[in-house]
Amino acid sequence: MSIENKKAFKDPVFIKESGGIEEYKFEQNGLTVLTLEDRSAPVVTFMVTYHVGSRNEAIGHTGSTHLLEHLMFKGSRNFNKEKGTAIWNELQNIGAQINATTWNDRTNYFEVVPSKHLERAIEIEADRMRFALLKDEDRKPEMTVVRNEFERGENSPFDVLDKNIWATAYQAHPYHHSTIGWRSDIENIPTHKLQEFYDTYYWPNNATVTIIGDFKKNEALKLIKKYFGEHKRSENDPPEMYTEEPKQEGPRRITVKRAGQTGVVGVGHKTPKGLHKDNYALQLLGKILTDGKTSRFNKNIIDKGLATSVFMYDFPFKDNGMFISYIFLTPDTNHQTVEDLVIDEYKSIINSGVTTEELRRAIAQTKAGVAFSRDGSYAVASALNEAIAIGDWTYYTTFMECIDIVSESKIQEAAEKYLIEDNSTTGWFVPKKVEATQDAV
Amino acid sequence: MQFKKQVIESNPIEGITTLSMPTGIKDVITFGGSFLGGGLYSPKSNKKIAALTTSMLDKGTESKSKYEISDLLESVGAEINFSCTPHHIQFTGFCLKENLETVIRLLGEQLRTPAFLTEELEILKTRIKGRLEQSKEDTKKQALIGFLRSLYPENHPNHRTTTEEAIEQTENTHIADLKTFHKKYYRAGGFNFAAVGDIGPTKINDLLKSSFIGWGKKEIPSVDFGLCAHPPREKEKEIHISEKTSTDTYIGQAIGINRDHADYYALMIGIYILGGNFSARLMQTVRDSQGLTYGIGSALSGISFGSDGYWSTWGTFSPELLTKGKKATMKEISDWYYNGVTSDELEAKKTTITGAYQVGMDSTGGLVSRLLSNAERGRGIEYLDQYPNIITDISLDSVNRAIKQYIDPDKLTTVVAGSFE
Repeated sequence: MSIENKKAFKDPVFIKESGGIEEYKFEQNGLTVLTLEDRSAPVVTFMVTYHVGSRNEAIGHTGSTHLLEHLMFKGSRNFNKEKGTAIWNELQNIGAQINATTWNDRTNYFEVVPSKHLERAIEIEADRMRFALLKDEDRKPEMTVVRNEFERGENSPFDVLDKNIWATAYQAHPYHHSTIGWRSDIENIPTHKLQEFYDTYYWPNNATVTIIGDFKKNEALKLIKKYFGEHKRSENDPPEMYTEEPKQEGPRRITVKRAGQTGVVGVGHKTPKGLHKDNYALQLLGKILTDGKTSRFNKNIIDKGLATSVFMYDFPFKDNGMFISYIFLTPDTNHQTVEDLVIDEYKSIINSGVTTEELRRAIAQTKAGVAFSRDGSYAVASALNEAIAIGDWTYYTTFMECIDIVSESKIQEAAEKYLIEDNSTTGWFVPKKVEATQDAV
Repeated sequence: MQFKKQVIESNPIEGITTLSMPTGIKDVITFGGSFLGGGLYSPKSNKKIAALTTSMLDKGTESKSKYEISDLLESVGAEINFSCTPHHIQFTGFCLKENLETVIRLLGEQLRTPAFLTEELEILKTRIKGRLEQSKEDTKKQALIGFLRSLYPENHPNHRTTTEEAIEQTENTHIADLKTFHKKYYRAGGFNFAAVGDIGPTKINDLLKSSFIGWGKKEIPSVDFGLCAHPPREKEKEIHISEKTSTDTYIGQAIGINRDHADYYALMIGIYILGGNFSARLMQTVRDSQGLTYGIGSALSGISFGSDGYWSTWGTFSPELLTKGKKATMKEISDWYYNGVTSDELEAKKTTITGAYQVGMDSTGGLVSRLLSNAERGRGIEYLDQYPNIITDISLDSVNRAIKQYIDPDKLTTVVAGSFE
């Protein structure tokens, strides 16, 4: 960028504030910045969230968002091994906690650093936003690294069952495949395809920068301007992912049989898009069913000795999600018995609703969870990252207000609408009994 | 931030020490505590008794059912969690400032007067046995058990029972065993309590005093830590677990010293240079350059509270890359041992460790953990401020000398768990 252009790059515009977090925008290149100053500890978290995840992948290049995330650590124009400025070394040598994660709707890169090193984190992230070195000789060894990550996931009965339930529930929409992708795609995706992916999505107008912790806002914004200001916005807007999942017209089932010791039952139901208001009721219903000793599944399944543990998730995604309960069976427990108990509980909520006491407790549990999601700059950034991913960062700051107004009837209505048989996908992990662990010297 | 200035240490009653650290966080308090009575204090015939006793603490007290306990906590969005380490009974929790009294009183009740109901123990045993069955599929856990059993004799703090033994001992546990254990070890004496957040020391001390007064002070019989690692039982061992797509490998040896030894810091940072983080040698070569693994690292472990610890290198490899992966790992170990580490590497890792130490202060949970582990080791608060200087003062010569003195590449034990067919 020429000196004239640097001078012309304007200061960011204040957009809005919510829950102490301020949003700014660099209008020329479209970069969004979120700031939250907190001097509890001499630490700051810097994060870049790209609005691209495995939902932006198609057949043949599943897992490419994640593989690209790995390659982003191999080096960039100013930070690379050849110059003696490798990204990991530059950051870990100052004690930074550094990593990146990829999921359905986003990819984020973050550094938790002693406050005085904020500039180094900003400089590195700005450099690799547009100047990452994506080389075929780096992709080859990194492919086997990612393949081993895939293999480690496949070691776990839960991971395998979860992947199969999503793949069965979602047929058209890319949530069909898991973020790590299918093995053959991981192995065969060519480097030029990853470069195309990078050149399509890694632009300031497709990213949100977050700074949380011990920093001075005006100084930090100047640094962001200094380093990210050299990037132009993309010539074309990143393409829309327009595929919608067709309506499900009947229950679906999947069974996974592998060597193992104990069974797992997963019962999933499709849910609306993450920002839909019904999700607040479903979040509370999840707590009523599985959170704490007084939860329904704990009383009706765990306390009867039928399972070692129970948990459910209902993550809000940009598109539709899943309300899934997982039950890890004790050795002599029958899959059908537990599946019936889960379905009976859903029916009971559809028919009779939840009690005021259950709702009150679920709200208190949620409130505590929210309070502790602010314990430390990384915790805030991490929670905010998911809100950015689903399309509205104020989801994080307004979450509790929306939870507070959920009534018993809203929960019952949500159960009636979503926890129905025709909308369900049920999975069993059935262990194939093989000889017990054998040792060999 | 200076711990010495910010942490207030006091003794509300004999045998209980509190460490209070007010921070900028509003309304929230995170706490944790511990006292001796962990797994090593179980009777030799059944090593699960300490852990099962701890697991029964949230299953009801003499005056509250488990549901009443749970309801009390959940209704105010608070948590108390108990755990059992080889040496300690530990608890951690959090609550809003306004609910501190409710939560501390409940903590006192759970520790002092658990109900120990037979029917609850039976449900717990069924669940634990189920989890142990599940753990037979865990390649990393099974490799570690095999590795430690190869190095340490039974009853050593670093020894591990087999999963089958653990299932059998769980089955053979009775309520009377738990009551006896509780009576003996659940008393004041070496009890540390740390609280961080929106807190004042007077309030917490008053609450602990009223919740634990009259608990009685225990004399902990010493556990025989004189036991030492024996010569490795095996040089190489494979643990077969069917249909696993990735293996886990442990390579290492017992080192014969504990955390209080003068050479500890030099050896620790030497091992950190080998495999302490992503920019360490193992991740840079075996993963980043050669692509043979998703994760590999090296560390000192089992070195606290006087026990002679071990050095281990862990790695995960696809079965088809296992041989190559082990070979590449051994090459790095060999190079590290024979050629030593460089001054640049040492200086880089010093700033890594001291910087990470600062980053670890980011959350109240991290601070509680730091205060508590320091107190458990019997160190004063000032140690937490001195730690960065201790790291900065380590010399290159002491690191390379420690590597030569405590590591012997010819006497390594390698244990791999997974599918090899």
